[in-house]
Amino acid sequence: MATTTLPKPARRWARAPFYFNTASHLLRIGRQRADNLSQLLEGLRTCPEDSIFQHTFRTLAEHHFIREGFSNDFAHFAFAACNEVGLAERLASVDVREYTSLEALRNRIVGIVDEYLKKNPRSGERAALEPFYFCASDTVVIPTTAVARNLEEFASCLENISVHSIHYHFIEARLRLKLNSNDFSVWLDEELGLGTLADRLNRIDIYTSTLNDVRRTIQSIIRGAL
Amino acid sequence: MAEKKERTMTKTPAGGNGNTTTQATTTAAPPSERRQRPRPKISQTPPAPPPPPRLDDYEPIVGRPELDELRFLAQRLRGKTVKMVNSTAVGGGVAEILNRLIPLMNELEVPTKWEVITGGNDFFEVTKGFHNALHGGEYNVTKEVLEIFMMYNEQNRQRMSFDEDLFVIHDPQPVGLIKSRQNTRGKWIWRCHIDLSNPHPDVWGFLRPIVDQYDAAIFSSPSFARQLEIPQYLFFPCIDPLSEKNKDIDESFVQKVCEDFGIDRKRPIITQISRFDRLKDPVGVIQAYKMVKKYVDCQLVLAGGGATDDPEGAVVLQEVMDEAGDDPDIIILNLPPWSALEINALQRASTIIVQKSLKEGFGLTVTEGLWKGKPVVGGAVGGIPTQIVHKLTGVLVHSVEGCAYQIRYLLTHPEFAAELGRNGKEHVKENFLMTSNVKRWLLLYQIMLGMTQPMDPQAK
Repeated sequence: MATTTLPKPARRWARAPFYFNTASHLLRIGRQRADNLSQLLEGLRTCPEDSIFQHTFRTLAEHHFIREGFSNDFAHFAFAACNEVGLAERLASVDVREYTSLEALRNRIVGIVDEYLKKNPRSGERAALEPFYFCASDTVVIPTTAVARNLEEFASCLENISVHSIHYHFIEARLRLKLNSNDFSVWLDEELGLGTLADRLNRIDIYTSTLNDVRRTIQSIIRGAL
Repeated sequence: MAEKKERTMTKTPAGGNGNTTTQATTTAAPPSERRQRPRPKISQTPPAPPPPPRLDDYEPIVGRPELDELRFLAQRLRGKTVKMVNSTAVGGGVAEILNRLIPLMNELEVPTKWEVITGGNDFFEVTKGFHNALHGGEYNVTKEVLEIFMMYNEQNRQRMSFDEDLFVIHDPQPVGLIKSRQNTRGKWIWRCHIDLSNPHPDVWGFLRPIVDQYDAAIFSSPSFARQLEIPQYLFFPCIDPLSEKNKDIDESFVQKVCEDFGIDRKRPIITQISRFDRLKDPVGVIQAYKMVKKYVDCQLVLAGGGATDDPEGAVVLQEVMDEAGDDPDIIILNLPPWSALEINALQRASTIIVQKSLKEGFGLTVTEGLWKGKPVVGGAVGGIPTQIVHKLTGVLVHSVEGCAYQIRYLLTHPEFAAELGRNGKEHVKENFLMTSNVKRWLLLYQIMLGMTQPMDPQAK
C-alpha cells in the first residue's frame, strides 16, 4: 500500500500566503463618564461596543510593554480610582482571548461588577478619586509589505513587523474569526497543516508577557519546528 | 539671632567666548565647616536653532514599521491640502508642536500651510482674558469684549483664503474663522489645547455655538473636554525625541552641566523641572526632600524659569529660596528660555524626577522625564495619571508625605525604580511621541474626508 508523507514543516508551501496587516487607532472621547462604580455599571450596560473594545483589547495594546499588573481599564479604575481591590482582581482576570464577541465580553464584565455591587452595595456610590471616561477608537487597517508563503518566511516576517501587527493578528483576530484562535494559528493549521504548532501558539499567555515577549515566544516555537 | 541671608542674581563673564553667565550668589555668615551653596553658571546666549529633523531621523527611535505606517497613511492623502491656523508663530507649546509637525507633514507630501492670525493689543487682551476664564478664572464678558473678539476674527477671515481640503484651527483665538465654512469645500477641525473642564460659563456659552459648527474637535484629555454636538477626538500632547530637550546627548555634556551647576553626581539627585509657580508646589518638593534627607544623603535640583519676567514667579522663587534655607544640597536654577539642552542634561543626570503639581495641564515635563527612562514621582492631577500608571510606569502621590515616602522607596529599591523607568519610556514611545501625533492627524484627515471607514473590529 502506498503511503504519502507530508514534507517537513520547513519545506511546506502555503496555497494562500499570509499577508501581515497592522491597525492604527484614533481615540474618540465618548459621552459617558462614571464618578463611581454604580455609574460605571450603568455605562458598561449602555456604552457602544467599540467602547468595550477600546477599554479591553485596545488598552492592552497601548500598555503592551507591561508584563504584569495591567489588564484592562475597568480593572485599573476599580483599583486605582475606587480602591476596590477585590473587584479589580476579578475584572483583571477577564481574559479577552476567551471572547469571540464584544457582547459576550460586555456581559461578563457587567456580571462581575453587578455581582460585586450586590454584595458590597456601599461601594457603588462611593466617589472615585478620578472619573472614568468612556472612550472608543476608530480603527484603520493598514497592509504591510511582509508576506509569508512558508514557515521560514513567516519567522523572518515576525522579526520585522511591529507589535501592533502582532496585536492585530494574535489578539484582536478572534473578534473577526469568531473563533478562540488567532490569524497565525489558523494559517499555520489550514495552510501548512501544522495544527500542533498552531495550538502551542494559541496557548501563549498574553497577560504575563509583553507583546515583544509574545513575538519572541512565537519565534522560538516556530524555530523549534524548522 | 538667626542667620540673616541675602541672595542676589549677578551676571559675570564666563570664559572667553563672549557668553555671560548668571550666578546665584549667597552672602551669609555660615559656620566655617558648612559647605557653600553651589554657584551655577547659566548661559545668557541663546544657541542657534537646529534644522528640523527628517522622518528618517526617527527610524532608530520608533522603528521602520512605524514609519512605513505613516507613509502608507500619507499616501492615501496625496493631493489633499491642509491649513493650520493659530495665534502665535513663536513661543508657547502650540507653536513648538507646529514647528515640528508641519515640516513632517510636508515631507509626507500632505501639503500643510501654517497661518497665524493677527490682532491688536485689545484683541490679545480679550483672548488672554478668555484663556484665563476658560481655566475657571473670573472674567467680565461685555458686549464690547465680544465685539472685539469677533471683529478681529472677521478681519483675519477676510484676509485669509480657504481653498484647502482641511482646516485645523488651534485654540479659541481664531475659532471664529469657521464662519468661512459655508464658502469652502473642506472639513473643519477645532484643536483645543487647553483644559475646558471648568470654564467660565459666559465665555464658554459664547464659544460653544461657534465650536459646534466644526466637523470635529480634539482635546488633550477626556477630562478637558465638554459635551458637544460634534465628534470629539483625543490627541495626547507629545514630545519630539529629536528636540534639544529630548535628544540623546553625550555623557560628557551631562557631566559638564552638572559641574557648571554644582551638582555632585556621586550622590542621588532628585529633580523637579518647572517654572516657579505655586501650582507646581516647589515648596512642597523641598519639604518632601527634607523628609527624605533624614534617611538618604541626596540632593534636590529645582530648575525652571519664569522668575525673571513674571512678578509672581519672582515671589515664588523667593519663597522657594526661603524654604531651602542654607542647605547646600538644594540647587535652585532660574534658567533662561534657551536652556533646553541643559534641562535635558539635568533630567538625564537625575536619579528621580519629581513633578509634584497641585494642578496641571498634561504635564509634558513628566513625559520628558519618562522618555529619559527615569522613575517619575508625579502629583495625581491633570494629565499626569494618563502618563503615570501607578507603580507600573511611575508613582502617583497626593501629599508631601506621600511624595517623600515614594522618593525614599525608589532610592532604596533601585531595581524597581529602573523597571518603572523602562516601562515609562515605552509608554511614551507608544503614546506620546511626535510620530504618534503625526499618525493621529493622518488618521483623522482620512476619517474626516471619508476616505476610509473605520473598521468594525468584529467584521471579517
